[in-house]
Amino acid sequence: MADDHSSAIIPTLQNIASTVNLDCKLDLKGIALQAQNAEYNPKRFPAVIMRVKEPKTTALIFATGKVVVTGAKNEGDAKYAARKYARIVQKIGCHLGVKFKDFKIQNIVASCDVGFPIRLEGLALAHGAFSSYEPEIFPGLIYRMKQPKIVMLVFTSGKIVITGAKVREDIYTAFDSIYPVLTQFSKKTL
Amino acid sequence: MDNSRACNSCGKRTIGSDLDTGHAVCTSCGVIQEFDNYNPQIGGISGPAGTYIRAGTSGTGTLYNYKETKIYEAQKEIEVLMYQLGFSPKKSEEVKAMVVKITEGEYGVGRWFTVLIGACAYVVMRLDVKPLAIVKVANVVGCDIYELGRMVYRVVDFLDLKLPGFDIVDSFEYYLRNAPSFSGVDQDVIGKMLKQGVFLVQCLVKWYVTTGRRPLPVVAAVLVFVSQLNQIEVKIEDVANELQVAVVTCRLRYKELLERLVKVARGLPWGQDVTVKNIMKHVTFVIQYMELKSMAKKSDKRKCFEDAGFDLDYLIDDCLSIDTDYNLDVADTENESQYFQMDRASRLSIESANKFQMSQECLAMIYSRIKNEMYVVESKNNRNNNTRKRKRRYDVLPYVEWWKGESEMSKKLLVKDIVEKDVGLSAMPPSYDGGCLAYERRKERIKAAKFRIHKTMYPSNAGATDKIELCPVEHANAGKKRRRKKQVDVDWEDFIIETLLLHQVEEEEIEKGYYKNLLDLHVFNY
Repeated sequence: MADDHSSAIIPTLQNIASTVNLDCKLDLKGIALQAQNAEYNPKRFPAVIMRVKEPKTTALIFATGKVVVTGAKNEGDAKYAARKYARIVQKIGCHLGVKFKDFKIQNIVASCDVGFPIRLEGLALAHGAFSSYEPEIFPGLIYRMKQPKIVMLVFTSGKIVITGAKVREDIYTAFDSIYPVLTQFSKKTL
Repeated sequence: MDNSRACNSCGKRTIGSDLDTGHAVCTSCGVIQEFDNYNPQIGGISGPAGTYIRAGTSGTGTLYNYKETKIYEAQKEIEVLMYQLGFSPKKSEEVKAMVVKITEGEYGVGRWFTVLIGACAYVVMRLDVKPLAIVKVANVVGCDIYELGRMVYRVVDFLDLKLPGFDIVDSFEYYLRNAPSFSGVDQDVIGKMLKQGVFLVQCLVKWYVTTGRRPLPVVAAVLVFVSQLNQIEVKIEDVANELQVAVVTCRLRYKELLERLVKVARGLPWGQDVTVKNIMKHVTFVIQYMELKSMAKKSDKRKCFEDAGFDLDYLIDDCLSIDTDYNLDVADTENESQYFQMDRASRLSIESANKFQMSQECLAMIYSRIKNEMYVVESKNNRNNNTRKRKRRYDVLPYVEWWKGESEMSKKLLVKDIVEKDVGLSAMPPSYDGGCLAYERRKERIKAAKFRIHKTMYPSNAGATDKIELCPVEHANAGKKRRRKKQVDVDWEDFIIETLLLHQVEEEEIEKGYYKNLLDLHVFNY
């Protein structure tokens, strides 16, 4: 991390997607019929979509027993929400064999604002190996960082979206790495 | 035979089938039963054999299997699409080779394959730095640009290619030369429009109008603007249709171009009176000013007026004191002259001179040019005994050559060089400006929310702070609709801010505007 360019900006976590295995076959129709906060349309999507208010998250519950939890704002919330879903399934579906196995955070999304406009054309030109900027297709520059393996969406307004991390530290490391690069293409320096 | 029906002639039930002809014949009287030669063929072992027909044959002796048919159809589809896109045979072969490489010679059937052909066509043209808009390809293929864009990304990733950046200047040049709206325009005028357009497009690149935006609406806006500059009747709707882009977006970009020109005009002495509505009357001066600024060397930029002993007020008075019937904008010029009736004694201070941020050469050139042009127009008008009413539409100095096209910005430059040029304005991206305004608005809302909370908690002290400005900062370009909205004291955003403040959320966090996130973290946490 370059000390000259380090910023006090801390990316805000916006979403955490995690998975857990309940380790038993589930009767999705039964779950959908008994749970008030669930919807199931097998023609459209082969999983029960269930929501809880606290922490405000959404889960996709598959017949294989695998569950995807999205919408959590931090790691603790993600795990707590996953446990809640497991408990709901255990209670309402008479699924006595429900376990809480292999909980894993799959993706963390964060965003922040660097506070200065960014010349995307220059950044794309200088970092062509890592970036893709196609204004005809998408307004932002897609920056694929190798280490840590993170994808960043950089917008000309100075807003950044960081995704693809499995741990929070990767987000911070990636931002600290990209920040000095972005300052080179800010309006002040160009 | 007794079971047969009665003969038409003798009435006996002795009808049988003639072995040679197959006709029903009465064996008693020998009369052939007319129009009733139906003989049911039930089939079975002894039944007649049918003709064997097999699908997939073409002509005699040719037999395609599924794969060959698929490849044949796919190649045909590639040819059709290439023809619709107007590709040369060489380019079509390149596209075909790319499709073969990606599909490993298997080609494909279905909608995805058509999208793949479109993506390959786009990639081939981009690699060759030819202006082919993704919108055009999407329209020919029959999909939306997001679907095509995803396929383009996949093609580029799979083949590990590096696409050169989309060149908006090339695109502008291509459409100016090829768009039907400009087909009847003289080549000399096209040449002049090209230089002006390239200049403006590159100015828009510098002003972040093109960054993160689709380039074709910007091209359409500049095409329309440049044609208006050159007295060519072109509708923005027509140009948008020819470029296959949304008219609304083109209008928006056109407005943004005008707004930026107005900001540039602020650098001129009469700039405060220039607005989006009347910018076209002043546009020649504005563009001249931009051109001169772009040509000025960096070392000239900060040259002090006093050091040079340059009499700016004398020059301005001299230029504008001419009592002329200036065709461009008589009334406005007369009105504007009041701003330049300055006292000779009160020379411009260094601060005010620096405010213009332009070299003495620039100013001298602009004003001498204006003076000359006014003289030319005056003499022309005197000769014609001009008595007709001034037209409502702008009239862009038709008598004189105001555009020189000598600036480097009229030629295609690299982004780095464009950014370094000074054209009289250094603008921020519209999205960045919007973000800053939203930030300020949130700050004001927080201030107001804090005041409301304080008023509720301490009603006795509320009177002292009643005079605090509570109205949130309105958007800089707020229209009538926004002004009407101002009547609403508090809205959902204010309630959220109040809630967050009551939950001890830091103001800096609220100012960022991630309300949903903050509500989840601080309000609805368990």
